[in-house]
Amino acid sequence: MNEIRVGGMRFALDLSQPLYEQVLEQVRSSIAKGEIALGEKIPSVREMAQALKINPNTVMRAYQELERDQLTETRRGQGTFITTDADKVSHIRHRLAEEAVEEFLARMSSLGFTAEDIANILRAKGGEGR
Amino acid sequence: MSVAIKGEGITKLYAKRRALDGFDIEVPEYAITAILGPNGAGKSTFMRMLTGMVEPDAGTLTVLGERPSWQNNRRISYLPDRARWYQGHTVEKAIEWGARLLPEFRKDEAWELAGSLGLEADLETEGMSKGQEARLMLALCLAREVPLLILDEPFSGIDMLSREKIVAALIDSFSTRRQTVLICTHEIAETESLFDHAVFVNDGRTALAGSVEDLRAERGSMQDIYRRIYG
Repeated sequence: MNEIRVGGMRFALDLSQPLYEQVLEQVRSSIAKGEIALGEKIPSVREMAQALKINPNTVMRAYQELERDQLTETRRGQGTFITTDADKVSHIRHRLAEEAVEEFLARMSSLGFTAEDIANILRAKGGEGR
Repeated sequence: MSVAIKGEGITKLYAKRRALDGFDIEVPEYAITAILGPNGAGKSTFMRMLTGMVEPDAGTLTVLGERPSWQNNRRISYLPDRARWYQGHTVEKAIEWGARLLPEFRKDEAWELAGSLGLEADLETEGMSKGQEARLMLALCLAREVPLLILDEPFSGIDMLSREKIVAALIDSFSTRRQTVLICTHEIAETESLFDHAVFVNDGRTALAGSVEDLRAERGSMQDIYRRIYG
């Protein structure tokens, strides 16, 4: 998987998974990480399809979903822009954090650790100043 | 979803071989559909049927709602698997020829395409590389404002840079135009990210068909599926 940079955003697509979900998730996480700023213009469907070498329909579908979540807005004749609403961005940051924690907890529990073990490990790590 | 091409139970016999054997297909409108399979699976026979060059022995086929015919071909832009040029032609003369003879041909678009595909006006068709030929044919095909574009093996045996230019030109064209695209290919490594819909052909029948995104979620990449079906 090669990393492709489009504007400030980074993409790495895996052809064995639906591409639309990956484009959507990767734009979301670019917004959450601040790789692309509030109110910034995002590449057109054509530019994004061209950069990622994928079907424009796939990009369109991801963009529609972003718009539905109000993370982007399309201004007629000007293009598509990231929301200027900081609450929306902190909302995805929070959601991505929850997802990451859930993944971590699921993995730890599959390794046989209890909630108490996990808390202890986290505390010990925290004690190292991280 | 509207259907641009529909085939049911198509059978074609050659001497002793069944090229197609009860082949079913639905090609959705305004999407990029790929017909995939190794040489000899029956892909080319089906492609030739779309423009009426080959007739089915049994089964039904409609293209843009009609049976294949030369009248219907006015609405189809067809990229053949082999190029044929007039003697002494150049890129410029080929575009002039297209403007005179091909229905719904947009000459200004042809020039724009030739430019973005890296073809100089005075480049002679004689002595062109396979990649240059493929690029010129593609420019002529994409310059037509028609509802159906058919590409028969557009990527086979051409150099990597030509291939990349062809992919880029297809993405641009598909971004700006509402058109149904059908691509027949056995080379999926660098092209599968372009497809909306895939039809895997094996021994003259449909082995598997569906939305590429759904197939990815259920079975993995088109390359993986290809290996499982034909490997």
